[in-house]
Amino acid sequence: MKTEMRRALARESYEEKIRKVGQLIALTRVFPHRTPARSRPSSPLTLSESPIPYRTKKPKG
Amino acid sequence: MRAANGLVKAGLIQDYAIGGALAAIHYVEPFATYDADIFFIPADRGRTAGMPAIYARLMSLGWQADGEHLMVKGFPVQFLAAQGLTEEAVREARNIRFEGIPAKVFRAEHIVTIAADVGRKKDLARIEQMLQQAEIDPNRLQAILDRHKLKLPKL
Repeated sequence: MKTEMRRALARESYEEKIRKVGQLIALTRVFPHRTPARSRPSSPLTLSESPIPYRTKKPKG
Repeated sequence: MRAANGLVKAGLIQDYAIGGALAAIHYVEPFATYDADIFFIPADRGRTAGMPAIYARLMSLGWQADGEHLMVKGFPVQFLAAQGLTEEAVREARNIRFEGIPAKVFRAEHIVTIAADVGRKKDLARIEQMLQQAEIDPNRLQAILDRHKLKLPKL
């Protein structure tokens, strides 16, 4: 969002802003926050979640 | 706020002010927050800061306890005993009216100083947002920081 637009929002009345906070909370309940795909681990399972014992090297012998 | 004003009238607290995210929203764009922090100066300076009496009074008004919060209309509110920097923030808070009800909200300079003191990632983001969007008196901010031996973090 553009800085000027954000400043304009900041200048609104407190009552109006609190009403918007209520709307934001209602929205986050409908659309819960999800971690963006790029910040998730590349593997679908992390080491601790993996059902298969994880080895980085082939065991000797 | 009506309930908090009632606590002052009943002598259960000396004074109060809105702090935390809801106070920041007074100065910056609205953002989602999941609780309200009310800082109060206790009338009872004992170990419990009069908290049992405060809870009893608010629960008699229909508020419900949920862990460390009190729920009002499904929204969690936390009452926190002010001390040191937060007590100063309550004493110097701005008088406002919210839907006609008198209330007090921390000054922008105190919000920034408290965030600098707490120093979590979200507090640093709050400082940045406050410096970008709020009208801050640099002299007042520096005086508060100096008084509490704090510095603004590098952002």
